[in-house]
Amino acid sequence: MARNRKNDAALRAGPVLSAVALCALFAGLGLGYVWYKDQIDLLGRQIKDHESRLAVLQGQNKTRRVQLAILISPGALDARVKQLKLGLGPTALSQVIRLIDAPDYEQAAKAPLPPEPRPVKVALAARKN
Amino acid sequence: MEEPNGAGGWLIMRMTVVMKHTKLYLMTLCLGGALGALGYRLVDLQVARHEEFQALARQNTVRTIEWRPVRGQIMDIRGTPLAISQPAKVICADPSLIGPLRQSVTRILAPLLQTNEAFLAERLLPRAYEENGKTNTSKYVVLKRKVPLATWEKIRQTMSSLSVGVVESNLNSRDKAFYRNLRTQAIFPEDDNIRYYPGQRLAAHVVGFVAGDDEETGLSGIECSFNTKLAGVAGWRKTELDRRKRELVPYRDEDVAAHDGLNVVLTLDAGLQNIVESELAVGAEKHSPISLSCIMVRPRTGEILAMATLPNFDPNHPGASTMDALRNRVISDVAEPGSTYKIVVVTAGLNERLITPNELFDCGMGQFIYAGRTLHDHKPFGPLTVEQIITKSSNIGAAKIGIRLGEESLWQYMRCFGFGERTGIQLPAEVPGIVHAVTNWSKVSIAQIPMGQGVAVTSLQMVMAMCAIANDGVLMRPMLVSRLDEPGGKTVVQYEPQPVRRVARPETIREMVKALKTVPTKDGTAPNARLDHYTVAGKTGTASKAENGKYVDKFYSSFIGFFPADNPELCISVVLDDPKDGHYGGDTAAPIFRAIAERAANYLNLKPDIAPEPAEPSILTATAGGGRQ
Repeated sequence: MARNRKNDAALRAGPVLSAVALCALFAGLGLGYVWYKDQIDLLGRQIKDHESRLAVLQGQNKTRRVQLAILISPGALDARVKQLKLGLGPTALSQVIRLIDAPDYEQAAKAPLPPEPRPVKVALAARKN
Repeated sequence: MEEPNGAGGWLIMRMTVVMKHTKLYLMTLCLGGALGALGYRLVDLQVARHEEFQALARQNTVRTIEWRPVRGQIMDIRGTPLAISQPAKVICADPSLIGPLRQSVTRILAPLLQTNEAFLAERLLPRAYEENGKTNTSKYVVLKRKVPLATWEKIRQTMSSLSVGVVESNLNSRDKAFYRNLRTQAIFPEDDNIRYYPGQRLAAHVVGFVAGDDEETGLSGIECSFNTKLAGVAGWRKTELDRRKRELVPYRDEDVAAHDGLNVVLTLDAGLQNIVESELAVGAEKHSPISLSCIMVRPRTGEILAMATLPNFDPNHPGASTMDALRNRVISDVAEPGSTYKIVVVTAGLNERLITPNELFDCGMGQFIYAGRTLHDHKPFGPLTVEQIITKSSNIGAAKIGIRLGEESLWQYMRCFGFGERTGIQLPAEVPGIVHAVTNWSKVSIAQIPMGQGVAVTSLQMVMAMCAIANDGVLMRPMLVSRLDEPGGKTVVQYEPQPVRRVARPETIREMVKALKTVPTKDGTAPNARLDHYTVAGKTGTASKAENGKYVDKFYSSFIGFFPADNPELCISVVLDDPKDGHYGGDTAAPIFRAIAERAANYLNLKPDIAPEPAEPSILTATAGGGRQ
């Protein structure tokens, strides 16, 4: 009898474990589903936050682009130079010395020599003193 | 309970049982009926009226948000922005949340939005409307568009700290919610853009301006002619909102990003444009003309480097200017060109080999009678060579060349130089000018047209004709747009220089350039156009203005020149409409040309073609030399 009872108990443990496993499976699936939905919601909120942040940064970028455009406009630069009294102006053409990168020596030899520098009396007089 | 006896007892017992069952049946029937009713309702809601309720539900939650594209920039050739869109806000309101505090809110918002209170009060008035048989109250009105972000921030702060003069802690929850919504939701923004022109008046006629409406439609200049390219394509997002109108990101359905407009890169150089406009302003101050225009072109390509007209306007506030100031006179105004037109007849004569540069023409000491009309020169000239006719700008000499050329040939050359047709510049409102068919010419036309009368041209046509001479006889199409770029910088369309036709042989052009080089000399009509470091070839023009069919004592004065004459880099045209303090092109336009040309050459670092005179040795050199002696 005792052996039979023991066998009965062993027989009853199988369905119980199956039921528990099934319950655990359903519970796991349920929890997993909720977790999954929660993750979707969480990620959705994160995406929204990042998009908002991106929009703000893009807006700031545009604003700065406009500020830069104002600062580099020729009129604004002219006005700023005048305001600061920097005395800046374009170089006169007479102040520009042009050098030839690869001189043509044959042509250079044919070219007339530059005039000899003339001594200036004022400078010599200064030296005597 | 007492046991029933006999038949009567049985009957009572039986009735008792039946009554018990009847109650059960009734209850079952009631419950069944209720369940049936619920089932019916369920089927009715879920099946029969499914579509209707689904649509209602979607109406409450699903929203389609439009993504407006950012209008493309307009930039000069060096990337300096000339027109740019900056973020702004549309200020909206929900009148149903403002209720009885309309006047208070109006008083607060009016100064911030810079509108009058009456207008705002009218906008904030709640309005009833019917939709699907239901009466609703309007919950959305636009108060103002194109509001800068800083202004919106002030509005937000002002509304959030709004004081209504009641102790809110004593209010019930409904009233508290009303004040909370008033502060946070009654006034709300939507995204918008403002078109901004950082250079303000710089190149205003070229860049143009946009309408102040929602769509930012270009109304003039490049803004108009490239409107579709600049505008971009709108995107949209179909999504769902929760009860608090927050987006439920996982339920996004369609999400198509807006395609921002293309950037238009002009051939214009903002630096050169600034030089031109500042020198024109100096000229305008000196001569007080009705208008003053300048075009700077690279003759070899037809690229327009600067184009300016005074009076001009600020495209940020186009409404503040007169209609006259808004007009780009360079392309939309026509006038008789005067002596600058002589380049056409002389080129034609030389090209047809009907004349030679050294051939003499008798200029009749300033008087020439033709077809019953007497033509005059500005000075009495005797015999002049063809070259001298250009140098001295003799009307009679040019008329005689025209007569020799013949009507048909002259007309063909005029058309060949591009007169009487639009140049094809990428700007709206260009006019073709007036070149009458030969059949409509009067007898004297053949003598008048060579001196620039009886024909009407735009400044642009005239400068392009001079560019054809500077470009070895090839007429180019004026080019104002260099390329179209995507916002990321990738080039989508690259515009190339377009030759239109050859107007004369290169040998003819060389002779013509030689003649034009004599104009900015002390013997010519424009000694003031001479440059220290470059040879200039050009032509003056002084045309009488016609009013009511008669020439009056008012003039169009002009100078068109290019330099370095033998390897032209720049061609510049300066035109003054009715200048005071002198009226000859050589006295009024030529000095402005010179000022612009010197600064432009310096800016572009053009190589001089006139060797500078040897400078005096400096003290330092002399001292050093003396020291060695």
